[in-house]
Amino acid sequence: MWSFYFHELMRSLPFFLKGLWMTVAVAGLGLIAATIIGFILGIVRAGRNKILRSIIGVWVDLIRGTPFLVQVFIVFFILPSAGIELEAFPAAVIALSNMGASFICEIVASGILSVPKGQREAATASGLSNYQQLRYIILPQAMRSIIPPLVGQYVLIIKDSSVVSAIGVVDVTRVGWLTVQRIPEGLMVFGLVGILYFAICYPLINLSNYMERRMTVTATRL
Amino acid sequence: MISFKNVNKWFGDLHVLKDINLEVSHGEVVVVCGPSGSGKSTLIRCINRLEPIQKGELVVDNMNVHDKKINMTKIRAEIGFIFQSFNLYPHMTALGNVTIAPIRVRKMSKEEAEKIAKKALVRVGLGDRINHYPAQLSGGQQQRVAIARGLGMKPKIMLFDEPTSALDPEMINEVLDVMRDLAKEGMTMMVVTHEMGFAREVASRVVFMDDGQIIEVAPPNDFFTNPQSERGKHFLSSILTH
Repeated sequence: MWSFYFHELMRSLPFFLKGLWMTVAVAGLGLIAATIIGFILGIVRAGRNKILRSIIGVWVDLIRGTPFLVQVFIVFFILPSAGIELEAFPAAVIALSNMGASFICEIVASGILSVPKGQREAATASGLSNYQQLRYIILPQAMRSIIPPLVGQYVLIIKDSSVVSAIGVVDVTRVGWLTVQRIPEGLMVFGLVGILYFAICYPLINLSNYMERRMTVTATRL
Repeated sequence: MISFKNVNKWFGDLHVLKDINLEVSHGEVVVVCGPSGSGKSTLIRCINRLEPIQKGELVVDNMNVHDKKINMTKIRAEIGFIFQSFNLYPHMTALGNVTIAPIRVRKMSKEEAEKIAKKALVRVGLGDRINHYPAQLSGGQQQRVAIARGLGMKPKIMLFDEPTSALDPEMINEVLDVMRDLAKEGMTMMVVTHEMGFAREVASRVVFMDDGQIIEVAPPNDFFTNPQSERGKHFLSSILTH
């Protein structure tokens, strides 16, 4: 029987690959939007405006303190009562971007704050404006501490994207659920789902490890 | 050139600068010394508003530094500041460190800025290291790049906050030599330092500070051989006994 199911599973492979493509689309768009929003908010969060810093802080805590599944439901099921009707795919991308941005915001803010104060003082003393300091002096140095956890966050975003299957987005997890109704071999089916996620996450994990090593090697070589 | 009028500064409740009155004229080299916590670093950091003041007036080159409406970029472009911990930009070469402000603040072209930068780096004795990164340079070399970085902007004033305090003894002289040359060429300088030999050689006046106040102002030879104040005498005896 097992080999029959396996054979069936292999015949469903195109369906899985379509689901994988959907996962890549949702996670990819979410990741890009999260990065842009996260960087902007992270820069503000590391800045001097106390009010803005607290507001962002509250938002970050809310998102980090609630399950992502609940956030997805809020965007998809509850926003319509406030007049915002969304289809599953856009809702998924919005929820994922929102969550990703909050984590990236913290990564970017701590990266910026980890740059020694003397750097800012030297830049100020030469007459560089706040924007110029950030662009030429602070951010380039902050990237050293930002990139490794940022890439790690990307892996988390890809994995967390599996949650959007709950609102009907036909990503690779959802394909797994649908398939397991025809092919009742849970381990086999979700084993394949796992392998497919691993296939897209593994290169990123390697990249993150490689970058982490390179960053620490250059730091200690000097 | 630099004028302190009844300048007062607090860090919270701590009164760190008390009724400072001081005039530094063009071409003068003023050395500021005193015990730890006397406010000497804070004093020079107020000149380019790295630290704000709460009372009094600080005028640099006819511009009121702590006026809320003033364009600090203009003032800071005329003041070179050398830090005790160098604060070079580690992700840029020596040349990059020196050219960034002329390009971004003075809006010079890259070629023009590099020409001036190379001259400045040669002047501090590092013409053969222009493409080195700070981490590839010794402490003395880094501080000299920092001085070149200050000079690259062609400032009217150079401020030094304990420039040699973080250096190994054998590197102190190479930095003091550069500073001596600058002084001889007529640069207006204010230097917070414990290097008394340097002060005697090039300073026109020594300002002795203690506990946030200026206690004594005198030509170096007068101050070192015959301090007038009790605290001045105490300070000199404590640092000259080794």
